[in-house]
Amino acid sequence: MNSMNEILGEVTTIAGELSVKEVTARESIVSVEASRLNAVLELLKRRGFSHLSLITGVDRIKDGIFEVFYTLFRWETGETLLVKSSISRDEPVISTVMHLWPTARFYERDVHEFFGIVFDGNPDLKPLILENWKEMPPMRKDFDPQKYSNEHFPDRHYEAEFLAEGGDENE
Amino acid sequence: MSEERKSWEKVANMLRSRSLWMLYYCTGCGAIELPPTMTSRFDMERLGIGPMATPRQADILLITGYLSTKTLRRVIYSYEQMQSPKYIVGFGSCTLNGGIYYDSYATINKLDLYVPVDLYLAGCMPRPEAIVSGFTALMSKIDKGEANGWKEYQEKNDWYKRNQIEALGEVYVHDEFHE
Repeated sequence: MNSMNEILGEVTTIAGELSVKEVTARESIVSVEASRLNAVLELLKRRGFSHLSLITGVDRIKDGIFEVFYTLFRWETGETLLVKSSISRDEPVISTVMHLWPTARFYERDVHEFFGIVFDGNPDLKPLILENWKEMPPMRKDFDPQKYSNEHFPDRHYEAEFLAEGGDENE
Repeated sequence: MSEERKSWEKVANMLRSRSLWMLYYCTGCGAIELPPTMTSRFDMERLGIGPMATPRQADILLITGYLSTKTLRRVIYSYEQMQSPKYIVGFGSCTLNGGIYYDSYATINKLDLYVPVDLYLAGCMPRPEAIVSGFTALMSKIDKGEANGWKEYQEKNDWYKRNQIEALGEVYVHDEFHE
């Protein structure tokens, strides 16, 4: 059985130099260029990282990028590998991995709904969780949940006289 | 005539308050306080409150914890299916004022805008002692004929519907898993 390092060495041959960050003895983060992502994931799947646990996104608004994380798991050794890829925030398009893992359909719908990232090739990018959502995708950092909550869900207003003895009356 | 009806209602209310079937809608983390309330330690049934599996046979709808707009639609479905007289208990600070989810884009802040709430149980989470005390208070309210949320929902239906539409856009939504 190949070790994680051997597999990552093999990944280098198709993706060039990798930046690998070891989180724990059994968990590492690898960043890959978006154009090489599918080839890398396919290789990893063949080498034992056959379980796609999760696809998720991170909004790095200061750098103007979205990071898309693919969490892969290897049952033989219990190792986790996070493959991340950065895409531009202005044009967030990345290719789908549905041909490798059919279950990716739902993860991609989820990420599309909450970050607005388009997965090229996924035919089914309709909303998954939210209903009647008309604003920008809510997990983007420039979305203001407090403002949305104030506009849609009225708060309860408390009268000062109901405060307990010794409470701050200006609150 | 009206006097006669009143005395009949007095008896009815007394009997209602002594046989309550509760539908617990486990929307949030509050549901975790219900197993100890129901089981041998606090034994809710000695007060005459029993769990019920379907809304059509329940008297109390217990909303436990934060309520997302998606769940609120289902709560409204369930509440409208229940037969009168019916009572809603808002459970935990999230139903009162949003709790720690006060700024969430997905959860409502004030349950009594959308459905009539007869009793609130404050706390995050209310302990089984608080639940038992709350139910005792609800029972005495029903006995006195003060728990009239279900009548209010009929009388002020326009107001409730308007609030529901304002927060939800549309109450009855068709989704892919139910079509």
